[in-house]
Amino acid sequence: MISAHVTTPKLVVSWLALLVLTFLSFGTSRLGLGEAELVIALAISVVKTLVVLFIFMHLVEQRFANRLIVILTFLFIVLLVTLTVADPLTRKTFPPRPDPAASPYP
Amino acid sequence: MSAQRLVEQFESLEKQDHAARLAMWMFLGSETLLFGALFAVYAYYRGMYPDEFVQALHHNSVALGTTNTVVLITSSFTVALGVHFIRENKARLTAGLFVVSTLFGAVFLVVKGIEYAHHIHENALPSGMYTFIDKPPAGVVLGYTLYWFMTALHGLHVIAGMIMLAVVAVLCLKGRYGAHRNVAVENVGLYWHLVDVVWIFLWPLFYLTD
Repeated sequence: MISAHVTTPKLVVSWLALLVLTFLSFGTSRLGLGEAELVIALAISVVKTLVVLFIFMHLVEQRFANRLIVILTFLFIVLLVTLTVADPLTRKTFPPRPDPAASPYP
Repeated sequence: MSAQRLVEQFESLEKQDHAARLAMWMFLGSETLLFGALFAVYAYYRGMYPDEFVQALHHNSVALGTTNTVVLITSSFTVALGVHFIRENKARLTAGLFVVSTLFGAVFLVVKGIEYAHHIHENALPSGMYTFIDKPPAGVVLGYTLYWFMTALHGLHVIAGMIMLAVVAVLCLKGRYGAHRNVAVENVGLYWHLVDVVWIFLWPLFYLTD
């Protein structure tokens, strides 16, 4: 069942990689790239999550059943977020946002 | 180390451990969906009020947020080391590493508390209590309310994780866990890593927005 094994050096390297990615993410956010910044930051976060999942959480050495739960969770979140965001991003006929004068606190 | 008890519905200890591990992953999946719904709300309103969100969250201290990211990542590392050493039957080392992780959790909460105190002092509060700027636009108030709600919910998870880490550390010292009995240690570790993963996403969304 166990094909790969998480060892101490692998844990140390993962930790250093996570720190490097954190500072990469921080550095990118200072460049002032506008909207692209958010996409880059989230992509780096996804990479960091994969490191935590597979090495720190030992997913690399576990059964597929456990990985399946991670895959399903990811798909559900993608579905949830994309379908929800599709509304405000595709509004053409309706006002894009509530009239602020009508109610300051929605 | 006391022997692990096999309950009657399982054929072997290996299957029993696998069931415990699988159940933990399912629980973590449901936890992730709880935060996922909040991330969807964030995406919805940020799509609606992009500039106001950036304006509201610009107020947050990038230095303190980044400090907390490093603290949580390092605590995740010490937890992963602890889980690694219990498999080699080094229960005292695991207990020590879990205590260190609990202290990192406390450092995280102290830094977060300093931030919260600062926000309260400046009236940068959720919903209708937000009076940091005069007559704030709706998007600014929404952005800051989400900041409070999501970081506070994450903070509660940090507290829960710290309690579990401390309990498992004590049980390790009492000799309850060892090389052949450690699924509880592993599952508490998994919970702590989830807390870390949630912060990995909260940090760019609430601190790196300018």
